Order: sequence, then structure tokens, then C-alpha cells
Amino acid sequence: MSKKKILVVDDSRTALFMVTTILRKERYELVTASDGEQALEVAAAELPDLILMDVIMPRKTGFEACRELKRREDTKSIPVILVTTRGEGENVEAGFQSGCNDYVTKPINAQELLTKVRDHMGAR
Amino acid sequence: MSVSAPVGPAAHRLSAPDGPGPTSAPARVYLAPGRLYASGEDVQVTTILGSCVAVCLWDARAEVGGINHFLLPSGSPASPRFGDSAVALLIGQVLERGARRGRLAAKVFGGACVLEAFRADTWSLGARNVEIAREQLAAAAIPVVGEDVGGDRGRRLVFHVRTGAAWVRPIEMKG
Repeated sequence: MSKKKILVVDDSRTALFMVTTILRKERYELVTASDGEQALEVAAAELPDLILMDVIMPRKTGFEACRELKRREDTKSIPVILVTTRGEGENVEAGFQSGCNDYVTKPINAQELLTKVRDHMGAR
Repeated sequence: MSVSAPVGPAAHRLSAPDGPGPTSAPARVYLAPGRLYASGEDVQVTTILGSCVAVCLWDARAEVGGINHFLLPSGSPASPRFGDSAVALLIGQVLERGARRGRLAAKVFGGACVLEAFRADTWSLGARNVEIAREQLAAAAIPVVGEDVGGDRGRRLVFHVRTGAAWVRPIEMKG
């Protein structure tokens, strides 16, 4: 079976490094983007199995990018998990309104992240 | 086990409060994932649920209640993040604030599974979270008097800790 592909989107190099380090342990194929606009380009080109995306980013926020991904025929069925900061209730609600499928909060907990990622890709 | 499927229009099903609502303006608290909150004060707790589950507990006579928001069915060490300990921790917190075990009632919310292909699969993360909540409540002999679980949408839940009133609505995509 081919490796599942995950697109990780974050404008912080540190955050990107932390998330990809966790996911690498599970042998996923990883592609990255550093803002919402680039996320749309990479998603269209790579058609990943899942997208893990930060909310606050330059050019396009995670909400805007998610909304657009869900509007496009070729990317709308890709599950999107938003990464929000703990305690931001409005952000989480806005995330679901933008079409995201679930969310995780920073600081990222490896066990929670991996369980959600596995679940959303249907790999159990 | 099965996760109850939405019946009828979700907005209609969920719009009415299922208990007496607060009369004066209660204090508002936002509950982040992996936390729990218990109080005998006039407090309304809001939380947003995807595949996570929230268990609401209260003792109507003592006017004490609480709510958790756990992410995974099990894990260690014991933490409000894990269903297998989050329920017991919540029970401990409400008892500490004056609730009596024999008078506790519960409501269970959340556990969505967002991928249609897996919704029939009872072992989705959301379904497993719901199952562990039901198991833990049954083991503690606490009746579940209301629930809104499963489905494919995130939920916004508001819980009034003193009365047990809960308002839940699905979060629809906008724009």
C-alpha cells in the first residue's frame, strides 16, 4: 500500500518542524506549505490524503484556505484539521464554519495528533 | 454499540433548551479541549466539539454540576484529556462541591465522525469517545438523560452547570 500523504501548513518554521517530526515517526509522506495561499497550490498539485493547517498565517488565513479547499471540486473531500491556540473558542467555531473537519490545539500533543490523523484518514 | 444518527432537521432537533434556562445572566466560561470545569455557581460553560466528547454532570438539588471535554478514549496518566479517566475526575470534582452521587444525572455530547465513508464504522474516534463515556457513566451508575452524539458536524455546546440545561447546535459551514 502506498504511503498516505499529509500536507502540513504553518508559517512558523518551528511549528512545522515539530509537527512533521511527530508525523514522520508514522511513516507518512509529508509535503509542506508556509501560508494559506501556498497551501491551496500544494493541495491542488499533490492531492494529499489529509491537510493539517495553522489558523493565523500571512496571505491567506487557515479559515480562508479551508473555505476555498472545500469549494474546489478536486480538494473538497480532503479532510482538514485546523491547528488552533488553546482557549480560542471563537476560532474553533469559525474553523468549523469554514468547513474544517476537526481541530487540534497548540501546544500539540503527539498522541492526540496521531490519533486524529489516523482517524481522519480511516486508517485504523 | 451504535452512535445515534441525527433524526430530522438538526437545527429543529437541537434548538430548544432541554431544561429550565437560567433566569439572570450567568457568568460565561470557555472550556478548552482536555480540561474540565465544575462549580455550584451560576455559570454557563461553552465548548466546541468535533470528534471530542463532553460529559455534563449535575445534581439538580444541590445545584452543582460540571463538564469535561476529552479528546481520546483512553490514555495514561489519568487526565481530563482521556475518556477513561475524565469521567471519574469529573465525578470527583462535582462530589467535592457538594453533589451527591445518587442524584447525579448526565448528558453526553459530541463524537462526530466527519468522513462519510467511515460514519457507519462504529470504531471511528468519535464513536469510541462516545462509547467510553457511556461505559464510564454506566459503571458509576449515573443515568444518561440526554445526548446528541455522532453525525458529521462540529457542535457548539452551552451547559448551565447548576441546572443541567444544555443547548447544542451543529456548526454549519458558512460562505
